[in-house]
Amino acid sequence: MSTILKIFVFPAALVVMCLGVLTILGGHITPGGGFQGGAMIAAGFIFCLIVYGLKESPFDLSHDFLSAIESIGALGYVFLGLAGLLFSGFYLYNLGVDIYHIVPTSIQTIFNYSDPTNAGILPYLNFVVGLKVMVGLSAIVYAFLAFREYGEEAVDEPIEEIE
Amino acid sequence: MIVYIGPLVLGFILGFILGTRIRINSESGLEFGASIYLIFLIIAFIVAYLLGPFPYYKDIPLANGFIAAAIGIIMGKLLFGRAKNPQKVED
Repeated sequence: MSTILKIFVFPAALVVMCLGVLTILGGHITPGGGFQGGAMIAAGFIFCLIVYGLKESPFDLSHDFLSAIESIGALGYVFLGLAGLLFSGFYLYNLGVDIYHIVPTSIQTIFNYSDPTNAGILPYLNFVVGLKVMVGLSAIVYAFLAFREYGEEAVDEPIEEIE
Repeated sequence: MIVYIGPLVLGFILGFILGTRIRINSESGLEFGASIYLIFLIIAFIVAYLLGPFPYYKDIPLANGFIAAAIGIIMGKLLFGRAKNPQKVED
């Protein structure tokens, strides 16, 4: 890729990622949410992977990181659902809002998201979904690039004749 | 003035996670110094001002989640984003 792209893309990807974070955080009051924001963050990763290549990308997406974040995202969603089941009897009950008035105030305070809309656990659900989508889409492109590189290396190697 | 810490905390955490992944490969020849992050922070403030706050947020006239994410990225890079050494492949 050209030098201009190599200078421009990294800071631009950071801005795109911040915009993705903002999309995740505003999922309960504006268009967007976990999936859209996660896809935007993944777009930042993919932008760098395409321009800099797999080996020179400034973002180091190791297998451990990808699996850990994906697990945190999935388990966080399940735990938020189970917390609702535990304290109210309903899976994914919005403990922070508590429209049925069946949850103690202390639990409601813990799970309530601090913002003027009284959104409860919805931003937390957006957050964990965003983590999972970000890692999932990044891993797909990362794997495609790795397979391609592996395939090119395999073609370059001389083919040994089978006796 | 009421400060809503929800987007600040979650934005910082997400940005921090992203910032820890910034590891420049020492063999790549790429060099992103402090000036890149300074420019990024200035641009982040401008973009956050132009985006404006979420609906119903009356605390500051900025997209505070955007600023929190930008600061989180820089903090993550400073604390954990070390230079990546190429892996030695053993035969």
